[in-house]
Amino acid sequence: MMISAFKNFNLGRSVPKSVAIHGVLMAYTVIALFPILVVIINAFKERRAIFRDPLAMPTMDSFTLVGFEQVLLRSDFGLYSWNSLVVTLLAVGLVLLLGAMAAWALTEYKFRTNLLITFLFAMGIMIPIRLGTVSILRLMVDLNLVNTLTALVLVYIAQGLPLAVYILSEFIRTIPKELKEAARCDAVSEYKIFFCIILPLLKPAMATVAVFTMIPIWNDLWFPLILAPGEETRTITLGVQQFVGQYVTDWNSVLSALTMAIVPVLVLYTIFSRQLIRGLTSGAVK
Amino acid sequence: MTLPKSKSTPESAVEKKPIPWHIVFFLGPALLIYLTFSVYPLLDTLILSLYDEQKGQSSFVGLQNFITLISDDNWSSAFWNALANNFQFFIIHMLVQNPIGLLLAVLLSSPKLRFSGSYRTFIFMPTMLSVVIIGFVWQLLLSPIWGISENFLYHLGLDHYFDAWLGKESSALITLSFISVWQFVGIPMMLIYATLLNIPDDIVDASVVDGANPMQTFWYIKLPLILPTIAMVSILTFVANFNAFELIYAVKGALAGPNFSTDLMGTFFYRTFFGFQLQEGSATMGAAVATLMFLIILVGIMLFLFFVQRRIQRFQF
Amino acid sequence: MASVKLDNIQKRFGDVQVLHGIDLDIKDGEFVVLIGESGCGKSTLLRLLSGLEEITEGDLHIDGQRVNHQSPAQRGIAMVFQSYALYPHMSVYKNMAFGLKIAGQDKQAVKLKVEEAAKKLKIDHLLERLPRELSGGQRQRVAIGRAIVRDPKVFLFDEPLSNLDASLRVKTRVELGKLHQELNATIVYVTHDQVEAMTLGDKIVVMNQGRIEQAGTPLSLYHHPKTEFVAGFIGSPKMNFISAQVTSIESDSVQLMLESGPTIRAAIDGQTLKLADKVKLGVRPEHFVLATDEENQFQGRVSLVENLGELAYVYVNTGQNAESDIVIKLDGDCQYQAGDSIRFAVAAADTYLFDKAGMALPRLNKA
Ligand SMILES: Nc1ncnc2c1ncn2[C@@H]1O[C@H](COP(=O)(O)OP(=O)(O)OP(=O)(O)O)[C@@H](O)[C@H]1O
Ligand SMILES: [Mg+2]
Repeated sequence: MMISAFKNFNLGRSVPKSVAIHGVLMAYTVIALFPILVVIINAFKERRAIFRDPLAMPTMDSFTLVGFEQVLLRSDFGLYSWNSLVVTLLAVGLVLLLGAMAAWALTEYKFRTNLLITFLFAMGIMIPIRLGTVSILRLMVDLNLVNTLTALVLVYIAQGLPLAVYILSEFIRTIPKELKEAARCDAVSEYKIFFCIILPLLKPAMATVAVFTMIPIWNDLWFPLILAPGEETRTITLGVQQFVGQYVTDWNSVLSALTMAIVPVLVLYTIFSRQLIRGLTSGAVK
Repeated sequence: MTLPKSKSTPESAVEKKPIPWHIVFFLGPALLIYLTFSVYPLLDTLILSLYDEQKGQSSFVGLQNFITLISDDNWSSAFWNALANNFQFFIIHMLVQNPIGLLLAVLLSSPKLRFSGSYRTFIFMPTMLSVVIIGFVWQLLLSPIWGISENFLYHLGLDHYFDAWLGKESSALITLSFISVWQFVGIPMMLIYATLLNIPDDIVDASVVDGANPMQTFWYIKLPLILPTIAMVSILTFVANFNAFELIYAVKGALAGPNFSTDLMGTFFYRTFFGFQLQEGSATMGAAVATLMFLIILVGIMLFLFFVQRRIQRFQF
Repeated sequence: MASVKLDNIQKRFGDVQVLHGIDLDIKDGEFVVLIGESGCGKSTLLRLLSGLEEITEGDLHIDGQRVNHQSPAQRGIAMVFQSYALYPHMSVYKNMAFGLKIAGQDKQAVKLKVEEAAKKLKIDHLLERLPRELSGGQRQRVAIGRAIVRDPKVFLFDEPLSNLDASLRVKTRVELGKLHQELNATIVYVTHDQVEAMTLGDKIVVMNQGRIEQAGTPLSLYHHPKTEFVAGFIGSPKMNFISAQVTSIESDSVQLMLESGPTIRAAIDGQTLKLADKVKLGVRPEHFVLATDEENQFQGRVSLVENLGELAYVYVNTGQNAESDIVIKLDGDCQYQAGDSIRFAVAAADTYLFDKAGMALPRLNKA
């Protein structure tokens, strides 16, 4: 009897309104997922089935893994993935460590150039490092680092540091002063204070930084293309780009290559989406 | 002022204070890498844009490279074309991506919404993938050979509107813009959503008690409170758009066809630097393009800081 | 101003029943204080009154009109939130004018009303400031001002003073009392603080787990609590509860034997009791006196003295199996120290008695 026909103002929302909201969100969810799903589904189908009925699931008849076989045969996907993994992990790990150390130094100690350095890092959040590509390439040539993973790692560290320093500094400021003051009274060294007391406290903020740093590195095409295009140092993004470019007409291969690039990311994303979204929405980045 | 560790070295006896080694230790590595691989290259690029290099000979030419870019017959049309395209690319993002993101965020934040976590996760999914991958995926979907889109429109009774959008000069850039919007709509959605969640329930309740209906509550209370976030999303979009490269390169290649109709500053920069077809690559001209991109982004950020950020204060609750 | 009538108001959140049938009559101009433990449903009840939350079952009448499905504005209520809930992007003036603006009143009228209310609350010099530029006390006034300008039928307050520091809280409490007299408004006021309840309320409503335990004037609750819960809730420090057994029942009193030994006579109507019933004797700390030769004597050992200067709370351990110390309120100049032995007494007329179910037995000799 309480669900009266009265137009509800702001209370328990009325049924039509709720249906409309779900309708819109569901429609957009379909829009977001549909293209990805179509590619994945068709990667498992025979060429004829791909064209006959693109939206059908693979059946006993149409199922095939030939595309994947072709991809593995014609290109070194394992190596590309490994390269991406090495570069990403090394770069993210170093961004976290060096970023935390720098953030600590900039927030904790007063020295003459502090403000200048803080400002320099802050600029880097907005100014894309790509704009310096001409000189980065020259530098890498001079250092003999072209076509090495080291070149990528170094550039990605430089790319990731500004945001890391910013987020971690904000976080360090929220750590109560008493913690380190108590330690200083006990004559604990500055190094120990940082590594034994502060660093463990930074974990949640570091998770956020890790996510923000990792995704652009993993997905980057620009620097692999320019600094490390060689077969041996190709990352997965570049590898897929080159492969697809080369075999455009082989639909099975193209769909399989894309699927192989998409699926691991989606699996990881699904596992960590909670943390990731918490990081995004935690207000660490304002 | 904290006391530096007393590892004082004898030669620093002239100075009052010994070198604070712990600061060097903490800050040194990060600063070294950042300066070497980000700050120095950027400054070097800015300087390089004032030089010309012929056969290994480098000579100072002042602003000549820029003058060439904006007025020389061989360069200027390509440059202005890329710049205009880039603004079009940006404006489509502002007009489509951010409003959709706002709408989704508002819907997601409706009180007691079931499955909001799943919606959030799914809608954000494309954002996680590489632009390159997304470019290829849409290239396939829109391909007239495969015909998925045509079929889809056929079912909606709209099939006669179908065209090889990516292949036409008139529609390629718009299509690519929409692909990019589709991929990145999750970012404004997420940031605005987070801000909406941070608005205390009490404030919304207070406006309801004050007699505001849901539209008025949104317009007078929520919207002003998310404006700073919308401003931030806009500047992020601006920087990302004027830095875009991958999508065009993946779908259309460095030539940004058809007939350069999808050329953006990023692809123009790439071609200038590495050369294409008959034109030889030029580091100094590349540096000049990069410098212009730098200036555009800088002006954008300045405008944002001075006109938007200063007026819209962040609100603490 | 208006009267409010709650008839069997219930609230469920899903399967959880938070309010189990609240009946309450609030008279025109009455100041009603809702008090009770955390989580007992005070805020929920207030939100039902305001219209922010839907009533699951029961009827709500304001001025004789059923308002269950009216919006807050239609009901003519105004609410002051614990967090103040000021709009952070609006100046004080705009905060106060918002409701009137939404209601479509013309600018000149709005200005007059806002300025009048601001003057009344002494915030007229703050009108151009943003909320974050105000002190806690000033924000609080703005929140009240925002309610006043709308000239509502009923004011709802949810713990409005709990974010203020102690001295400001006392000051604001006094001002609220004056404001009520001045506006002669109907007010429903939620608080945790029983001093606020006793001093401000025309009527106090003690809630317990989603039910009204007792409603009445502050003094009737103090003198005639219906249950052990209410007795424990009203008065500070808390009433002492001492387990006892009925040894004899007379027309004007009941004889009790305490577990710790002494025999006590309580001026209680014991008709419903039987001999040997287990009961609880209640004595307020302020009703103990240092023993003379009177009846109802206790003795024990002082375990702690809290001296506040003007008065002292003396905690006394009265024997082997007393469940907890008895608290006595004495003059500040008493000389007791921990370890001293002490003798004290209570007049038969000052006792309370509760049966096994926690229901109070009628007190005699108290109007
Ligand atoms: N939206 C809700 N959904 C489910 N349960 C709720 C909701 N709001 C309140 N409750 C529950 O209702 C009960 C009463 O809550 P209420 O906020 O009214 O308590 P309160 O008396 O105001 O407490 P406090 O003094 O701590 O403010 C609590 O147990 C609470 O958990
Ligand atoms: Mg409450």
